[in-house]
Amino acid sequence: MDKKEEPAIFPKNPNKTYGLMELTKTKSFQIEKGPDNTVTSWPHLFFRELILFMGVFIALMTISLLFNAPLEQEANPSNTPNPAKAPWYFLGLQEMLSWAHPFWGGIFAPTVVVIILMLTPYFDRSQKGVGVWFAPERKIANLLFTIFLVLAVGLIVVGEFFRGPNWQIFWPWNMPSPH
Amino acid sequence: MKKNRLLDLFTNNRFYKSIFRHGYPDDDIKRSEVVTGNLLLHIQPVKVHKNTIRAGYTLGLGLIAFYLFIILTATGILLMFYYIPSIERAYNDMKDLEFAVSFGIILRNLHRWGAHGMVAFVFLHMCRVFFTGGYKPPREFNWGIGVVLLIITLFLSLTGYLLPWDQLAFWAITIVANLIGTSPPESIMGANLRQLVLGGTIVGQNALIRFYVMHVVVLPLVAAALIGVHFWRIRKDGGISRPAEE
Repeated sequence: MDKKEEPAIFPKNPNKTYGLMELTKTKSFQIEKGPDNTVTSWPHLFFRELILFMGVFIALMTISLLFNAPLEQEANPSNTPNPAKAPWYFLGLQEMLSWAHPFWGGIFAPTVVVIILMLTPYFDRSQKGVGVWFAPERKIANLLFTIFLVLAVGLIVVGEFFRGPNWQIFWPWNMPSPH
Repeated sequence: MKKNRLLDLFTNNRFYKSIFRHGYPDDDIKRSEVVTGNLLLHIQPVKVHKNTIRAGYTLGLGLIAFYLFIILTATGILLMFYYIPSIERAYNDMKDLEFAVSFGIILRNLHRWGAHGMVAFVFLHMCRVFFTGGYKPPREFNWGIGVVLLIITLFLSLTGYLLPWDQLAFWAITIVANLIGTSPPESIMGANLRQLVLGGTIVGQNALIRFYVMHVVVLPLVAAALIGVHFWRIRKDGGISRPAEE
């Protein structure tokens, strides 16, 4: 090719060992695609997963070396502790039992919660705010879930720390012995 | 590329290659083969979006819950060697674990605290998915599986709660059994459900063996199967949720 007729759009740079050879009119692989924001799973993902496992194991082992699991007296059907408490994750339900007929707090409420949770994605279908923590587009959904969270955790805290003999309210530091 | 001779010694031989079907993953093709050439392909993709490995996005909560499940399975199997689900022996076996079995108390502590942790982290994982909108289509079915897994986790923990056969165990299960007994109509549904769960009218030997079988066989199998589906669906639904790209 005659150098004098070459257009000046791509002037030859003497410092480079490569140059633009040709332009063709075809689609590139990147057209109408987002940037390729991916990394290979090995090693990027797998090493992080391995490190997390080690962290979990070390943390659990440390707790297990420091604190012993509770073991009370042998089960005795004729000696009822006052109050008898369910495991902590069911204490919210046990707390609600004391308000009305046990069916409402113990069976009805958790069933309704599970049904609402399972159906949520079939009604809340908007794609706005997906992939972002506390997206502003999802204020109402996040608010409703936060209320559920506060209630669930709050009831557990009340049941665990504020309920004493005869299921009466006590301050945690005034809690009478359960026997 | 400069070869690491020690690494080469361990990985570039028939024995290694018979297991892993590829050499040490030091180029992109072999890195792909780590995934496509192994069973792992069904769980994890060759490449993941950068958002997936961003610690601040997932906080690793689901994976922590899964790891606790693995640790609980391992420690649970070891505990089964020392524990007899009989109301005459169960409590003494707990005492033996504490005072007679080498590292028995550590084994029990790992299992107990791991179980509490798993309940907490499954719940926290659910909170993460909600607050990032991760449950939205096409992931609505996987969210449902997740809710079921939360319930199974609660039942796993509850069935294990009875096994030490101490006062804590006995009365906690008595409360939950009475709760089940209030399912309406009480005289038909509630009473029969309670009878089904306890195998009698009070928490006794029948209840202990029922809870034990549920705890060590039925619920772990169901949980493992659903965890498999849960992970597989993450892939089929396009990986972990992330913001739409510009």
